[in-house]
Amino acid sequence: MTDQKTTPPSQPPGKAPKAKKKKGPIRTEVVLPFAIVILLTWAYFAFLFDGHLRKLFEYAGYEVIGAEVNVAKVETSFIKGTFRVQGIQVTNSERPTHNMFEIGDIRFGVLWDGLLRAKVVVEEMAVEKILIGTTRKSPGRVKPPEPEVVEDPNAPSELEKKANEVKDKALNKIEDKYEGNVLADLAQIAGGTSADAQLQNIEGSIESKKHLQALDATYKEKQKKWDDKIKALPKPKEIEDLGKRLSQVKTKDFKTPQEVEASIKAIDSIVKEADAKSKIVQSANSELSADLKQLDKEVKDLDALVKKDIADLEKRFKIPKLDAKSISRSIFMSYLQPYLIKFHHYKGVAIKYIPPNVMKKDKDEPDQVQPRPRAKGIVYEFGTPRGYPAVWIKKVAISSQAGADPQAGNVAGQITNITTNQALIGLPTIARISGDFPGMDVFKFVSMLTIDNTKALSKISYDFGVGSYGIAGKDLVTTPEVKIGFNKARGGLTSTGELVGLKDFSFKLNNQFSQVDYNIAAQNSKVDEVLKAIFAGIPAVTLDAWGGGVLPGISLNVNSNLGPEIARGFEKQVQKKIDEARKKIEAYVNEQVGKERARIEGEINKFKSQIDGEVKKVQAQLDKQKSDGEAKANLAKKDAENKAKKQVEDQLKKSLGGKGVDDLKKKLGL
Amino acid sequence: MTLLLKQIFAFFRMLNSETGTNQLAAGLAAGILLGFSPILSLQGILVILVCLFFRVQMGAAFLSAFFFKFVAFLFDPAMDQLGRMILETQSLRPIFTTLYNMPIVPLTRFNDSIVMGSGAFALLLVIPAFFLFKKGIIKYRATVVARYQQSKIWKAWSGTTVYKWYLKYQDLYG
Repeated sequence: MTDQKTTPPSQPPGKAPKAKKKKGPIRTEVVLPFAIVILLTWAYFAFLFDGHLRKLFEYAGYEVIGAEVNVAKVETSFIKGTFRVQGIQVTNSERPTHNMFEIGDIRFGVLWDGLLRAKVVVEEMAVEKILIGTTRKSPGRVKPPEPEVVEDPNAPSELEKKANEVKDKALNKIEDKYEGNVLADLAQIAGGTSADAQLQNIEGSIESKKHLQALDATYKEKQKKWDDKIKALPKPKEIEDLGKRLSQVKTKDFKTPQEVEASIKAIDSIVKEADAKSKIVQSANSELSADLKQLDKEVKDLDALVKKDIADLEKRFKIPKLDAKSISRSIFMSYLQPYLIKFHHYKGVAIKYIPPNVMKKDKDEPDQVQPRPRAKGIVYEFGTPRGYPAVWIKKVAISSQAGADPQAGNVAGQITNITTNQALIGLPTIARISGDFPGMDVFKFVSMLTIDNTKALSKISYDFGVGSYGIAGKDLVTTPEVKIGFNKARGGLTSTGELVGLKDFSFKLNNQFSQVDYNIAAQNSKVDEVLKAIFAGIPAVTLDAWGGGVLPGISLNVNSNLGPEIARGFEKQVQKKIDEARKKIEAYVNEQVGKERARIEGEINKFKSQIDGEVKKVQAQLDKQKSDGEAKANLAKKDAENKAKKQVEDQLKKSLGGKGVDDLKKKLGL
Repeated sequence: MTLLLKQIFAFFRMLNSETGTNQLAAGLAAGILLGFSPILSLQGILVILVCLFFRVQMGAAFLSAFFFKFVAFLFDPAMDQLGRMILETQSLRPIFTTLYNMPIVPLTRFNDSIVMGSGAFALLLVIPAFFLFKKGIIKYRATVVARYQQSKIWKAWSGTTVYKWYLKYQDLYG
């Protein structure tokens, strides 16, 4: 592939340059190496590529799902544009001897018309032979949990941490909320456990009592502070002195203007002095108001703490609420918990692997020193109404026949319009799958999933139902006191949900259990009898769950007909005992806190009225002296004015006579 | 790798010889196209095939592509702007729509703003660059190479037996 031979910089002397054959502009010598490269590439894709792709699928599947994924065969053809995967087995991570599911065959062809336009267009994809829970030939590998590494460069990324956090948060929330089992507590109460003995051991752990002691200390501290402050306030004698000094100031019969001026100055100085003292009292007054407010608040806090103490003690002594809702939650949370854990696990996986532009994840990525990333350009789509989006799988046909395999299902369904640009084709992605799994005793399974991105706000909705499925040996409540479960039952469920804008999630689930053979047992014979009597009258059980919220925080509500039935059944035996226990707790708390509280409250009220009275008295005295001073000053000023007026009149009378003065007054309008 | 190194050595040898001016200039100019376009695009593969089947100096093309890849990287934001400007021009919209829905053409990824900006810039640059490179090579040979060949060191080296053997090897094996 070298270019034409170069002429050396100089020829050795005495030798004529060798005549070279002139080469044309086309490099003919490259044809053979090029053909070899093409042949090798073809050989790779013909013989090795499928195997490598199969291994890649297995590796990626293991990494993402966390359990071994096996693929029996991958077949691709670039000429025909076809792709086929056979024998996909996904190990159940909780039961590695079994597969979570198995898909016999997935095949599709890509339109060359689309490929030439750099688009992947699939007319129809077939998914066949779906098996659930099949036994594996050998147990599958399960990915061990990643070890916790602190401050390590290989530590999980912020994104992984966030995904795990979401999962853990959800799990903890479930555990915290349903840690106590209402039914077991009811059984305990019905069995005759008394709170009396336990009440003896809790001395010193009542929060309101501690708060009361703190309040007492605060009150004493304030009392001392205000005793000192009251001493520093102006004394009655000082205020009386001000009054005396004021009374001695001359306010009439001034002979000279200097006398007037001296009187006004003296009154002014007394008023100023009274004003300064008044300011001291005012500031003390406002400080006192703040302190009294604080004490009032602490007394109010005490009320709240007493209530909290009572609630805490009820919880501590497992005094259950005999309401249907909490009983329903208590029974079915343990039933729903495994599904919720799975849901949160896959939500975590989705958050980890969904591209950043879809979940807008990169906003939370921490700032790191990294090379400047390449600028991201915009990819414009100049689509026409009949044009192709970048990826478009028009139809996925799903079908499976149970046949001889007991784990196989009769499944039929289709997914339409899986695409990267729904707006271009104007159609949402809709998946409809229905069928039966006779081997697993599951019948009339129907599901519909719609992913609609044709509008500005994306909307994903689902509608899922199972007409009938068998339940065998399912425990609902398992505690030392009581055990409730289904020996055998037939279930049916429907569920609908919606995710708007990839954030706002809401769902509903209705589950019915009929033909129920209950498995009821209780430690206490009385409780056992009551429970058996209750359940004998419940031929069918309903379970309704609903919830929603902005992801990842979702609220969950559970209701069931079991709740009211159990509540009714236990009411006679238990309600009285619950009320008694509650009263005992209230009485205990009141006894611990009540007396002391009354004493402190009384002292505080006394202190409030005493201090308040004293401050107000001083303030009133000072105000009186101030107003007296101001009145006297006005009097002195008026007297001096009158005197000056009279002097002028007398002088005029002397010089103009009586009539002249009257005329002048008229002219001046006086 | 050996093939690549051989091409690069051939480039330097040819640069210092008196022949292949057009091949070198064409190689360097093709490198601009390669540097400014994504490798996995139709135009990138086409340029490589042209370099392969026509007597364009491959070493020059590789070196030039290597250098202009860095230039393209630095100018990405500007190329993005240029690309957006072109792709958003209303009068060109019907052409782009036709091209986008035609077979083969979308494989050029012309609808990406950076690819379009870089491509347009490289196409504008490639012909003037060819002539500039050609002029530069001629000038380089007339000044640097000629002066070097007149030096005593070169004359002494070209008179040695080792050098004669080298020339013989060159004649025989290239």
